[in-house]
Amino acid sequence: MAKREPSVNTQNLTAVQLMELDSCSRCGECVNWCPTYDASGQDPGLAPRDKILRWREFMNKSYGLRARLFGPKEIPEEDIEKFKDDVYKCTTCGMCATVCESAINTVELWESMRANLVKRGNGPYGKQGAFLKLIGEYKNPYMANNADRVNWFPKDIKVEDKAEILYFGGCTAELKQRKLALATARVLNKLGIKFTMLGENEICCGSALIRTGQYFINDTAKVNAQKNIDNIKAKGAKTVLYACAGCFRASMIDWPRLTGKKLPFKVVHITQFLEGLIEKGDIHWEKSIDKKVTYHDPCHLGRHVGVFEAPRAVLKSIPGIEFVEMERIEENQRCCGAGGGVKAGVPDLALGVAKTRVEDALQTEADVLSSACPFCKRNLSDGRDAVGAKQLEVEDVVVLVAEAMGIDLSDAPKE
Amino acid sequence: MSMEYFAGVSDALRLTFVQVMIMASLSIGIFFIGMYINLKKWGMGSTGYGLAPSGSILTFPRMLAQQMSEHAHVHNQSVLETFVLDILFQRRILRRSPLRWFMHFTIFVGWMVLFAMSLAMFLVEMIYMIGEKAGYAHSLPEFMNPEIFREILSVPNDIFSYILLTGIIIAIYRRLFVAKMRESTIAYDSILLIGLTVITVSGFIADGIRTGRFWGFDMPVEWAPPASLFHVIISLLFCIAYIPFSKYIHMIAIPLALLANKGGE
Repeated sequence: MAKREPSVNTQNLTAVQLMELDSCSRCGECVNWCPTYDASGQDPGLAPRDKILRWREFMNKSYGLRARLFGPKEIPEEDIEKFKDDVYKCTTCGMCATVCESAINTVELWESMRANLVKRGNGPYGKQGAFLKLIGEYKNPYMANNADRVNWFPKDIKVEDKAEILYFGGCTAELKQRKLALATARVLNKLGIKFTMLGENEICCGSALIRTGQYFINDTAKVNAQKNIDNIKAKGAKTVLYACAGCFRASMIDWPRLTGKKLPFKVVHITQFLEGLIEKGDIHWEKSIDKKVTYHDPCHLGRHVGVFEAPRAVLKSIPGIEFVEMERIEENQRCCGAGGGVKAGVPDLALGVAKTRVEDALQTEADVLSSACPFCKRNLSDGRDAVGAKQLEVEDVVVLVAEAMGIDLSDAPKE
Repeated sequence: MSMEYFAGVSDALRLTFVQVMIMASLSIGIFFIGMYINLKKWGMGSTGYGLAPSGSILTFPRMLAQQMSEHAHVHNQSVLETFVLDILFQRRILRRSPLRWFMHFTIFVGWMVLFAMSLAMFLVEMIYMIGEKAGYAHSLPEFMNPEIFREILSVPNDIFSYILLTGIIIAIYRRLFVAKMRESTIAYDSILLIGLTVITVSGFIADGIRTGRFWGFDMPVEWAPPASLFHVIISLLFCIAYIPFSKYIHMIAIPLALLANKGGE
C-alpha cells in the first residue's frame, strides 16, 4: 500500500525556520506580551508559543521519526484551517521576537507560514484576499486611480522632475491621509530641499502582500518592487525619504530580498532626515506647540528596523512641547493593532488592540498621541473614538513639525 | 583496579564495563540517527526566503552559514558576542526574568560541568587502563591515576551536583506551584524535567551508597555498582539518545537559532 502524503508541506519555509520550531523552550514570555492574544480575551490559539507548537507537531506528524517509519499521520483539515485563522490574527508586530529567549525570528516565521498556507489554498484571511487584485489592477490597495496620488497637491507645492532626494509618499498618505503627504511636501519646500516624487508611477510598496503571505503570487510584489526601484533610479534619486513606516520597512528589508539586489539608493525615514537638519541648526521654528505629547513607536519603524531616537529627538526639539513617554515604548512598545493585514482581515481585533494602546496614552495625560506612520494613526484614531477620548489628538510627527514651522495645512483634503 | 567502582567489584566487572560501552555506543548511535532525521526535516526547507524547498541534508548548514554571514538591520552583533553573552551567559533569559535565568543557568552550568567531569574521568580511566596493558601507566603523571583523579573531582562534583539540584528544585516548584506555568505544562515539558530529576537524584544516590553519606539512605554498599550503572545508563539514554526526539533538542536548536539570528531582535 502506498504511503499517505504528508498533510502539510514546507513551501516558503527556510531550513533555519524549520529548526527554529524545535528551539522554542515554551518559556511563555511571548504569551505575556502578545497584543492580539491580550485583545482577544487570551484566546490560547493566538499565543505565539502555541502556534509554534502546533506547526512543530504538523511537521513531526509529516516528516518526523514516526512518519519516516510508518508514513505520515493525517492532520485533520479543520486543524489546519483553525491554525490558518490563528496565524492571521497576528499584527506581525514582532514583540514575540523581541522577548523570545530562543531568539526565534517570529515575524519572518509567521509570514512564511502564511505564504505556505496561501500556496496550500488556506490563506489569506477575509478581505485580505482582495489585496492582490487591487494592487495588481490599481497599483494601490484603495481602488483609487493611481493618477490621483499627487495631482491634488495645491499649486504652491514644488516637486522637481528629477532630484537627488525623492519622497516616496506611499498609498495611505497620498490617497487617504493626504494631510501627511501635504505636510511632508511643504516642510521640504520650506527648508529649500529640492525633491522629486514618482507620482502616478509609484506602485504599492508591497507591504500588504508580503505581510499576508501573498507576495509570491504572479511575482507581483517582486515585479512592483523592481518597477519602483527602476522608477526611483530614473528620477536620479540618491536618497529616498519615507513618512510611512510600512513603506520604509518594505523598501529597506523586503525590496532587496525580493529582487535579490542591494538598493541603488539610501533609504531614510523623514524623522531621521529632520533630526539631521535639526542637529545642523537648519530648521527654524516659528510657532510654539504648547501641548503635552507622547509618541507611539510604529512596529515597522521601531522594532523591525531600530529607529527609536529620531522621532523623539524631533518632537523634543519643537518649542513648547512637553514630551512624555508611555509605559511601554521602543522595543517593548505595544502595537497599534493595524499591521499584518489585521486591520483589513480582522478589524474588531485591530480595534481591540488600538483601544489598549490609546489607554496607554491616556495614562500619561498627553494632549497628543503622535506617531510616524499613517496606518498607526488611522487605527489609533479609531481606538481613540472607540474609547470616547475626544480630548486626545492623534497626529503624525511630521504634521506637528509643519505646524511648528508655521506651515498652514488648513487646505489639506479631508481624511 | 581503576575501573572497579565504575564497573563493579567482582568478576562481573568486565561484563559491566562492556555493557556500559555498548549502551554508550548505542546511545550515540541513536543520537546520530535522530539528528540525521532532524537535519533531513530541517532540510525540507529552503536556503532563502521565497525559494523552493531543497530536501538535501546540507540545506540546513548552508542556510545557517548564509544567514550568519548576512548583514542584519537591527542587532548585527558578532558571533563571539552571541556565543559568550547569549549562548553561554544566556542574557536573553536574564533580561526577561532573573529568577528563570538563575534556574536555567544553574541547570546549564551544573549539567555541563558534570558532563565535562564525567567525560574527563572516563578518559583518565581509559588512558590508565590502556597504559596498564601497554606498560606505560607508571610513567603517567600522578593525577592521571584514576583513584587520585576521582578524589580531585570529588569536591567540584559535589558543588556542581548541588548547583544542578538547586535549578531542578526551582523548575519543579514553578511547574507545580505557579498557576500559569502549571496550566501551560504539557508532556513535552514534563518529560524533560522528570528525566533531569531522575538522572540527578540517581547520581546522588549512587554516590551516597558508595561513600556512605546522607544520599545513600543507609543502603548496603554492594548496591553501589548497580546504582551507579543505573545512573550511567539512564544518563546516556536521556542525555544523549533522547535529545533529538524530545524537548532536549533545545540544547542544540537554541544556540543555533541564536547564531542564525545574531543574538535575536
